[in-house]
Amino acid sequence: MTVKTFSQGVFLPHYKEFSEKKSITTIPLPKEVVIPLHQHTGAPCRALVKPGDEVKAGQRIGESDAFVSAYVHASVDGKVTAVEPRPYFTGTNVESVVIEVDAKQGKPAWQERDTSKLSIDEIRAAIKDAGIVGMGGAAFPTHVKLSPPKPIDAFIVNACECEPFLTCDHRMMLEMTDMLLEGARLAQKAVSAPKLIFGVETNKPDAIQALNSKIAGEAGVELVALDVKYPQGSEKQLIKAVLDREVPPGKLPFDVGVVVQNVATCIAVYEACRYGKPSIERVLTVTGDGAAKPQNVLVKMGTPIGHIIEQCGGFKGEAGKVIMGGPMTGWAQSRLDTSIVKGSSGILLFSPAMVAETEHKACVRCGKCVDHCPMFLYPNYISTYAETGRFDLADEWGAMDCFECGVCVYVCPSNRPIVQFVREAKKQIAAARAARN
Amino acid sequence: MADKNLTLAISSSPHLRSPDTVSNAMRDVLLALLPITLVSIYFFKLHAVFLILVCLAAAALTELLFRKVMNKPSSLDDGSALVTGLLVALCFGPSTAWWTAALCTFIGVGIAKELMGGLGWNRFNPALFGRVSVILLVPIFSYLSSIFVSMRPYLGEIDMVTQATPLALLKQGVGMPGLFDLFLAFPGGALAETSALALILGGIYLFYKEHITWEIPVSMIVAVFVVALIFGQNPLYHVLAGGVLLGAFFMATDWVTSPITSKGKLIFGAAIGILVIVFRVGLGPTEGTAFSILIMNAFVPYIDRVTKRPKFGEVAASQSASVSAGRPVSKTS
Repeated sequence: MTVKTFSQGVFLPHYKEFSEKKSITTIPLPKEVVIPLHQHTGAPCRALVKPGDEVKAGQRIGESDAFVSAYVHASVDGKVTAVEPRPYFTGTNVESVVIEVDAKQGKPAWQERDTSKLSIDEIRAAIKDAGIVGMGGAAFPTHVKLSPPKPIDAFIVNACECEPFLTCDHRMMLEMTDMLLEGARLAQKAVSAPKLIFGVETNKPDAIQALNSKIAGEAGVELVALDVKYPQGSEKQLIKAVLDREVPPGKLPFDVGVVVQNVATCIAVYEACRYGKPSIERVLTVTGDGAAKPQNVLVKMGTPIGHIIEQCGGFKGEAGKVIMGGPMTGWAQSRLDTSIVKGSSGILLFSPAMVAETEHKACVRCGKCVDHCPMFLYPNYISTYAETGRFDLADEWGAMDCFECGVCVYVCPSNRPIVQFVREAKKQIAAARAARN
Repeated sequence: MADKNLTLAISSSPHLRSPDTVSNAMRDVLLALLPITLVSIYFFKLHAVFLILVCLAAAALTELLFRKVMNKPSSLDDGSALVTGLLVALCFGPSTAWWTAALCTFIGVGIAKELMGGLGWNRFNPALFGRVSVILLVPIFSYLSSIFVSMRPYLGEIDMVTQATPLALLKQGVGMPGLFDLFLAFPGGALAETSALALILGGIYLFYKEHITWEIPVSMIVAVFVVALIFGQNPLYHVLAGGVLLGAFFMATDWVTSPITSKGKLIFGAAIGILVIVFRVGLGPTEGTAFSILIMNAFVPYIDRVTKRPKFGEVAASQSASVSAGRPVSKTS
């Protein structure tokens, strides 16, 4: 088996052993769900319901006329108790629909369809109606991504799951192989790509085998085994690894004829096209060295993370940190009433021992960040210039091209919060550019 | 949430860290210097021990003092002061007066590093800056000697073949030690000049631990070798004798004061190598390596700028733009 990869990046400890063998399970519903109206890239939705309204699971409760946006739906049967700003996982407050969950949940009546007869427009419409966004974390509306303005020759399924700890995509590949394949076919059809490629890291040999046995003999479908290296699941790095094409700075994958979607998104696409089922639940991994019972669970959107943690056995010992998402790009949570959204791939529970030191020193110019940066930037200079207020120079050394993967911080012997400096630099550079124009 | 007692740590992503720290790296540098330290102690006994202890103490005290005065937290735990102290000591001969070594260490740690803002902000290698200050500030040092001369402890006779360094002998063309002695162990010159082998072992250890990369040592040594040949000198002597190996593995590779990229490191190392021979042939036999590295230290920001690499996708973008407007889309079947 030839194993491909991209240049630079870093080999991280996998930490997948906590949950990779745990089948996907469900947990009891919470008492209330909180569904943010803006949980995607693009325009926020406006609420279609008001306090007191009865809603059914799958009912659209928020929409926007903007193309780059995604509808939101009630994930449960229940009664709307409030439409108000609620704490969001990034630390801000976001206008949300709060639904009190009915004790008795009806059985959703999905309309089954023959997906092979769907036209490109019908596929895109089904995805738009379902409010699907990229479920790997970026939360970019999928119907937009599947309407590229340029011809596409390869549709890549991002099955890297390169973030340590997370195993939800891995489990879905094993337990929903047919749905994944079908969803990928539909998405591939939506962009009229002649080729379908699965990019899977080699630490998931069972998933590689499961997929290979299904696609064997099929023309135009390929599985590319990838080395276990972070950030392989970043679109640009994945395209480089799989096709040896480089997306130029400021350009998007479609500029090199590629569209990428992750595993969970493809499965959501299948469910939307097949049953008309909106994006109202997702699989996520509850794990970490502080998790009593690490596992992969199927939960309703809007479920408070505190409920999920509780249902998964809570903390084993003292609580250190709770992270929404992966350990490299996820968000540390200060409270447990924030809720699961479409882009949430995991809840990590760290013991105090896993909590990284926050004190940092000056850059000692060791060059490790430069050697590992997957974008070939200079995190050393960017962070030092940002720290000293020279945002013009931070810009010169590539701050705007950083996608905040965190590799530089991981390798930094001075423990510098480079990603934080980059975020500040981006803000200041954007403001300076706006002021100039 | 209901649980009021829950205290959660909050910080920006990423939430994982590699085990690499500056302290670990400095500890490894000290370990890498252990062989040469032991060889020098073997030859020079108490003279070497005393000199090394004086420099280590001077380095630590200087850093403590400067950071106290500047109201900064102590940074002794990063170990860089000890590395500087040991390197200064290794750059001196065994007969060096303790006050000279102490003042050099003080200048290296205090002025070249702490006054510049501390580790990371210094432009010049602190140990070398301290070491050459003895040459630049000759009057001060001779004044010191006149004061402190009575405070010099007697540590026995120095067991040296000769006080002249192999390089000086090379210059004079007399009584040179054999190449093999020079490589294995030879008591001449500075503490660090007693064994090429011990320095190479240390260098290999740093390379193995990934604290240094091959570019600077290799380009520097190759340049010394080639330029010595051009000048009609014995190239092996120039590599093995004097400060070239200590400089190539431990000084020119200093993170803070060397270029970032592979290309920059090659330019930097080669330039140092060339300067070393120019100094040795054109000027006096001593401190050629020290001055060469310090001179190139000054060029590091410039080297970094001119060797700046293209970002991800920039090369591909310029290639496809120059070929035609056609994108590589049609390449696949």
